[in-house]
Amino acid sequence: MRLDSARINWGKLLTRILLYFTVVLVCVFILYPYFVMLCTALKSRAEIFSINGTIFPKEVLWSNFIDIWQKAPMSKYMMNSIIIAAGSTTIAMICGIPAAYALARMKFKGQTAFLGFIIVSQMFAPVVLLIGIYKVMMSFGLTNNLLGLILINAAFNQAFTIWLLRGTFISISAEMEQAATIDGCNRVQAMFRVLLPVAAPGIVTTLIFIFINAWNEYTVALCLISTDTIKPLTVGINIFNGYNIIEWQYLFASSIFAIVPVVILFMSIEKHLTAGLTAGGVKG
Amino acid sequence: MKKKLLNKAEPYIWIAPSVILMSIFIIVPIFYVFKMSLSKITKAGLIKGFAGFSNFEAVLTSAKFALVLRNTVIWTILVVVLSTVLGFILALLLNNEFKGRKVARAIVVFPWATTLVIQASVWKFIIDTDYGALNTLLKSLGIINTNINWAPTPEAFFAWEIACGIFVTIPFVCFTALSGLQSIDSSLYEAATVDGANYWQKLFQITLPLVKPSLTVATVLNIIYVFNSFPIVWTITKGDPASRTDTLVTYLYKLAFYNGKQGEAAAVSVIGFLILLVCASVYMVSTLKKGDE
Repeated sequence: MRLDSARINWGKLLTRILLYFTVVLVCVFILYPYFVMLCTALKSRAEIFSINGTIFPKEVLWSNFIDIWQKAPMSKYMMNSIIIAAGSTTIAMICGIPAAYALARMKFKGQTAFLGFIIVSQMFAPVVLLIGIYKVMMSFGLTNNLLGLILINAAFNQAFTIWLLRGTFISISAEMEQAATIDGCNRVQAMFRVLLPVAAPGIVTTLIFIFINAWNEYTVALCLISTDTIKPLTVGINIFNGYNIIEWQYLFASSIFAIVPVVILFMSIEKHLTAGLTAGGVKG
Repeated sequence: MKKKLLNKAEPYIWIAPSVILMSIFIIVPIFYVFKMSLSKITKAGLIKGFAGFSNFEAVLTSAKFALVLRNTVIWTILVVVLSTVLGFILALLLNNEFKGRKVARAIVVFPWATTLVIQASVWKFIIDTDYGALNTLLKSLGIINTNINWAPTPEAFFAWEIACGIFVTIPFVCFTALSGLQSIDSSLYEAATVDGANYWQKLFQITLPLVKPSLTVATVLNIIYVFNSFPIVWTITKGDPASRTDTLVTYLYKLAFYNGKQGEAAAVSVIGFLILLVCASVYMVSTLKKGDE
């Protein structure tokens, strides 16, 4: 191969150009909605609705990004999203780590049944069960309450938590923990001191994934939360998406605040996450 | 003796928190939905006695339901199939070594990480006839002179919703396929090249069979998620007009929370679950069969 490289290989060059061309085209296509969002967030209302609209804003209005904090309880929405996402993640991990540990390290009756139950639970999206969820929340007095939303998110993310963590734990040899047990550690100590530090990358991936899921959740929050000040961003920003008037510039300005943190988080875990998802499936 | 019993009980203590959490917030709601689907329910949502299959009867005989079911099937099949094909092709592209590959991968993450309700709002804005971004773009480029109505009929709106669904599903397929592709041993390709295999032979005889497990997982998850997907249709059309863009989930949401027909909504939930269960069983049986071979 290397000997040929002095001569230009036209076929290869053409595939190369075609490859770049397609990749650039795809990237432009994917970024287009985000580009539209940003340009629109910087326009005035009059400009958005004018007959001779332009792609870029004629006059860049950074003030839209400031106005939204006064036009809507944005800081409340932001805080609620953080509380919901952090709370759901914490509860999902507290319940999921021991369960994944038991599935990875112990043999017990009902193990397959438990795994099967986890898979079946994935078939019920919250939206299909909303009526039932609403009834449960009513009996606990948790409708229109952040804690209710946190618990629902934690429960519906259990399957992923356990699935991803079980895969991580299985891929780590149990020998070190056994050695620690011989040295006098009990199982809980062995898990905390030996397994969890080694499994940290897998745990962080899982953690971030659940955080993003809970941050992006829309349907259950839409249904359960009616008080404006306890809405998360995904539901709250629709204050600008009124029945008669849509304030696109504000809707998109606030959308950007909802998107940016999770996109950055997601980029950081993307590689680990996909490997974990499929590994769990193949080994399943 | 006591220790032995404790050892036996230990695994159950470890899984207890998870089981309790899922029982209260998933199993109990499932139980409620099944119970409500068989009950008479007042407008206020109170359960008033057993109703047999009258809720199912009411749902199945309503003229809208056939339409909604047809929409759901079209929506699920088109989104899952097209996003799988396109996502796989994109994964093949990104599996090549080239400059800027990291950037390209980062860009593909965007739609996956963005909440669906925001994606849907942007697409709703892009296709708007009077001030939408697509018309503005095409006019600025001189391709069109007058605004085009991109969604003149409910069916056209539904097609856009499907397109939006595909757009947001591609990254997930792409990355699962990519992780499958990267685990393929490159010596297989070298051996095939020596044997004189061309690109397509290598694709169909090495790549596809080896990526299949990853793609199967992605497809099964996608069928469930897409079937149950709510925000896109809800944001763009709310299933209107007259349910012509409704899928099962938007239809049942309106039945339950707009029309006060919780019993019928529960029946729709149960029907949706049964459809998914049939699909999952077909998948499981077929994979089990393969395991026997």
